[in-house]
Amino acid sequence: MSWVAHDVEPYVIQKHLGRRIAIVPLLLGSYAPDMASKWFVYGVGIFGLELKAAEPAQFHRGWPGVGFTHSLAFGLLVGALLLLVFRNRIWAVSFVIGQWAHALTDTLDTVGTMLLFPFTTHLFSLDAWAYAGQTGRYTDAGAYFSGLGFVWDGVFLVWTALSWRVLTRAYFRETVVPADPLWGKAGRYLSETTLVAVYRISFFYGACRWIAWLLWAHVVRSFAFDLSWGGPKWVPAVRSEELNAQAGACSTCHCPSCGAASPKLALAAAVAVGGRVATVRSQRRARRSTRRR
Amino acid sequence: MRELALYLAAGVVYVGLGVAFPEVLFSWVEGAAFLLLAVVFVPKLWERVR
Repeated sequence: MSWVAHDVEPYVIQKHLGRRIAIVPLLLGSYAPDMASKWFVYGVGIFGLELKAAEPAQFHRGWPGVGFTHSLAFGLLVGALLLLVFRNRIWAVSFVIGQWAHALTDTLDTVGTMLLFPFTTHLFSLDAWAYAGQTGRYTDAGAYFSGLGFVWDGVFLVWTALSWRVLTRAYFRETVVPADPLWGKAGRYLSETTLVAVYRISFFYGACRWIAWLLWAHVVRSFAFDLSWGGPKWVPAVRSEELNAQAGACSTCHCPSCGAASPKLALAAAVAVGGRVATVRSQRRARRSTRRR
Repeated sequence: MRELALYLAAGVVYVGLGVAFPEVLFSWVEGAAFLLLAVVFVPKLWERVR
């Protein structure tokens, strides 16, 4: 699971897609998979009763459970419903992109997600950091902010900081408001200062939480950093191989997500994406310079 | 610049609160309410009082 990336990724996507996307459904999509399940994963006390999933990882990501919320099909299904109800293509597409970003980001932990549900209940995982939701939220926080999870969040925070224009009032006025009529309607009752603050909430929440959890984990408490692949190793992590084997989804599976090829696969994917981004950027630059001439 | 300073101050206070009482870091709603209070309502109130 990811603690801050789901708050911040939508702003990076917004920066790259501009008016082709609406931030509200994008954020809703990014939060949707965990909205109804996180409290039951960590457990909650109501009137002296402790409500908690017997097998938190299985409940959160697997089947039976609510793991289908982390599948690509779930995003498409809700997107189609949004299109049917609101007749707004940008809202539908934005929700799908947000939900897919969440589902793909969560493949980076050791449990992963059922990306291709309902075709298979197989959990796809790249094993970059430990899934420790079953240990309770404070130990999970300590583990997450000691392993590669917080590094992933940091990359997106820096990426958003480099795209700082996306957070300005001018960008909000010129790009965010025209893409979604909701802002115009809200503007009848609320000042622009309030709307801009609402637009920035998730970034503020994500950035502050990242700093606060890091300080809490390593200054107030003394969790040990372990930036190894799949770490930190001091926490008992749940692994996709165990859940896949339990479900009988891959007892003889040799897919990269079940084998030791994960770090190599992730590196290859990162190089491929990086290469593609560099190509697109150079093509854009070439087009711009041709136009100027 | 005044706006940026307001957000930075709000951020510093929220991080401080979060480190002291990590429970607040779990609630998106409380985070949102804090930001709106810090950068919209309190400055408005301050201007009225002045």
